[in-house]
Amino acid sequence: MKRNLILLLIFFAVFLSAISLHAQINENIWFDGLSRSYFARDAVDKSTTDDTLSAKNTSNGYNLLDLNTHVNPIKDIEIFAQLRIRNSFGSFFGSGTEINVRQLKAKGVINNKIRFSVGDLFLKQSKFTLHNYDEELSGHENDMLKPYRDIIHYENFYTENRWHLQGIQTDFSFEFDRFIRSLGFDFFVTRPSGSSQINETTYSSDLLLSGGSMISEINKRLTLSGNYINLFEVASSGTKNISVRNPVHDMSLLHHFGNDKYRIEQKLQTGFSKRYWLYSELENGTSDSTSNDTQGMYFELDNKYIKKDSTLFLTLGYRYVDPNFRSAGAQTRRLDYAAGNSNTIYPIYTNMSLIRPPSLFDLVSDDRLYNRDLSSILMAFNPSYSNILPYGEATPNRNGIYLKAKINNKKKVFLSKINAGFFKEVIGQGAVEKRYFGLFKGSFKINFHRWLNWEKELSLSASSESELTRRDGKAVSSLNLFSHQMNASVNAELAKKFFIQASYKQFNANGNEFLTQRDNYGNITYFTSTQIDQKDHILSFGMLYKLRENVYANLNYNWWGMKFTDQPYLDYKYNRLILILSVEL
Amino acid sequence: MNIKTKLILFLGLVCFLHSCTKKEFEGPLIETLYGDFELIKPLKLTNKNPSFLSNEQVGFHCEFNKPVQWKIAILGLSTSATREITGFSNIIDSNMIVWNGGPSQVPFFSEEVCAIELTFENEIDTLRDTISIVSAKTYENGIWVENFEDGLPTNALVYYNTDGGGMTFSVANDDALLGNSYFKMGGRVNWDWNLGSLDLPLNITNASQASDDLYINIGILSDLQDLHTGQFINILISEETGTPFNDNPNNNASDLFESTMEVYKMKVPVDWNGWQLKSFRYSDFEPVSPNNQDINFNMNPSDISAIRISCQACPSSTGNPNCPENFGKDVRTDIDHIIFTANSSLLDQ
Repeated sequence: MKRNLILLLIFFAVFLSAISLHAQINENIWFDGLSRSYFARDAVDKSTTDDTLSAKNTSNGYNLLDLNTHVNPIKDIEIFAQLRIRNSFGSFFGSGTEINVRQLKAKGVINNKIRFSVGDLFLKQSKFTLHNYDEELSGHENDMLKPYRDIIHYENFYTENRWHLQGIQTDFSFEFDRFIRSLGFDFFVTRPSGSSQINETTYSSDLLLSGGSMISEINKRLTLSGNYINLFEVASSGTKNISVRNPVHDMSLLHHFGNDKYRIEQKLQTGFSKRYWLYSELENGTSDSTSNDTQGMYFELDNKYIKKDSTLFLTLGYRYVDPNFRSAGAQTRRLDYAAGNSNTIYPIYTNMSLIRPPSLFDLVSDDRLYNRDLSSILMAFNPSYSNILPYGEATPNRNGIYLKAKINNKKKVFLSKINAGFFKEVIGQGAVEKRYFGLFKGSFKINFHRWLNWEKELSLSASSESELTRRDGKAVSSLNLFSHQMNASVNAELAKKFFIQASYKQFNANGNEFLTQRDNYGNITYFTSTQIDQKDHILSFGMLYKLRENVYANLNYNWWGMKFTDQPYLDYKYNRLILILSVEL
Repeated sequence: MNIKTKLILFLGLVCFLHSCTKKEFEGPLIETLYGDFELIKPLKLTNKNPSFLSNEQVGFHCEFNKPVQWKIAILGLSTSATREITGFSNIIDSNMIVWNGGPSQVPFFSEEVCAIELTFENEIDTLRDTISIVSAKTYENGIWVENFEDGLPTNALVYYNTDGGGMTFSVANDDALLGNSYFKMGGRVNWDWNLGSLDLPLNITNASQASDDLYINIGILSDLQDLHTGQFINILISEETGTPFNDNPNNNASDLFESTMEVYKMKVPVDWNGWQLKSFRYSDFEPVSPNNQDINFNMNPSDISAIRISCQACPSSTGNPNCPENFGKDVRTDIDHIIFTANSSLLDQ
């Protein structure tokens, strides 16, 4: 009996191990991901005398590993899971260790024809329908502050101006041998936020975002594309009988031609939006109704001249965006100043325990100030940091021309960028007179090592960004606001892959503006007059050891602060020592 | 497409764009917001002789040129009862801004002449008017009322520390909040917190309101002479349904408030002088035993089976001198007019 039992066990052991082996042979599993060690020590500057309540210095940090597991159970299907293990420094026996699933996705191809993805998606359409615009003051970032910016983007899922959403997506295309050359389609349905409990008896509704794109190459020179997107709530999924609807239609025609030296692209893009709140499922059989209806359109003519030796990219265009154009997917901001997010570093300051207003350094370094959720109404912005295009190119109530240029020499010794624009409001805000806007951003980088044929890198980069807003008219409503950001940095490779870096960033804003207050339906209810006179600075010095492009160790020291003149805030100054070890697996 | 055609199309489009926006500006006019305050329409009352007993209301209407913080103050010239209504807008709409006869706090308005005053923050303008109340509002419309006018309810249970001095756990008729009678709760127990309690059975199984929409209102009289510190009333509400109200007839207290039962509480510090009417939303009550995993704390007003009003005060004797300043003082936390109301507090009804 005992012998039979042993034989049975051996049989099952061999049989099951064979099954397991069989499974492993057919499975294709591979890993990648990111590991980061982060340590920061913040200190109140020694010159600060009016803050004896805050800790003189604080330190914090963490280790994290984002392990991406890719499983291909069959050739055309991939299951992707991103598992995060994060351990805060100072936690005791794993009490500060978090393990969570950060992303989960299945994607594949059906019959080699239709691609699909289910789960975490990164979606982008046109710049007027679904586009996650860069945050303000990030246009010409120097290399020294890039690790901070990388963390902000990574932690908030900001990838290639795409929005991180959860849902289902599919795309497929056709090729033709007559009339048109190709036709491609892309559709998605996502749920930016689910129903949640507001109080004991009230639940908010599911917020959904659906859309589709069509692109057709009509001939070698002409491409036609169209996009549709709709942000809407499903009233029946909550207890509120009011739900938002925001459909946006977009169409563009791209024409290009050129020769072996240059290429010219002309793009005509237009579309329109609607936004309203629907009252449905009303009591006593009352029929559905709508409120706060707005309709708006936009138009853009974009002309690009591109030299094929990459020495010149020139863009010249005209853009009109109606005051009532509303597109949640394109106008949602990364930074929401009304969300009440407090700074991570010294949120309270001075002996009066004031809430510290965010500075340039907070915007550069604090990933918790940033937003990941789509908003159906225009979010608040700070005119000091971004007053001309706070909602990117989809900013409503703008009419004007713009110019972008990128000039390099062939050996890439000298690289420069220019971004300029002159806009005006389509209609005034709180006054018949319209605001006029002037924007000029320029940057250059000189690669001395290329110039002098050195093996080790030595480069100098600098940028200047200015925004001017002006409104004439009566003294009570006139305004004049000027802001300027200056940026300079030096990179010197002392030993192979070992760099010494220094940078200085300064931001000034001076003048007056009116802050716009909106109600829950986005209607302007009030203008708060505000005087602005502030100066931000960040001085950094440090070293970088760059093993590979995405594998580096960075140690640097930042002196930063903010100075106000005739403002209801007090000046502050802080210092920070930071170590980042980032390894992309 | 030649250049001419493109140019014509472009110009056509520009003309179209210039014609598509009709408004000249959006939002309120800054010139008005930051300009001088002006009255567009004077204060108008929709009813100058209201009969609040018949559920009549007084609506207020006024328009001005910019949004401002405004305040309507109503003063009863006989009772000195007051009511304040505030808001921030450029219009006071009589459909929205109404008064139904209740004060902001006791005393209540009676049949009297009331002075009305409309003022604006940072502006010198003051608009005045008067109304004459034909019949005053009554406060008996509730889901459940106990006003002690017929003495203690037959099933009520009163417990108090018999070793205390000057214990007053009984119905009195000398200084009621409403009507003639109220329940006195007070005395002197210098060595302990607990003085006594009143337990009342409740049956509101027909209440359909959610706990967010149910309000418990109670009139409380604090010290009239020596203001006492550290005295408060605990209101306990039981949703225990499987146990009789007076399961153990020997303890002078209801048996529906055990720590193993679904009981909610609200602690009310009593530190004012005279009567006040306090209102609490039922959903703001907290579980008495939140850590007891065997109890399902799921508020359901129709399950309310009993209410306990207990009087407690900070001990002051030398054996337990938490509040020595109260030594020799009598606690006074008398109650009157316990009423459950739906959707709003009693004074906002």
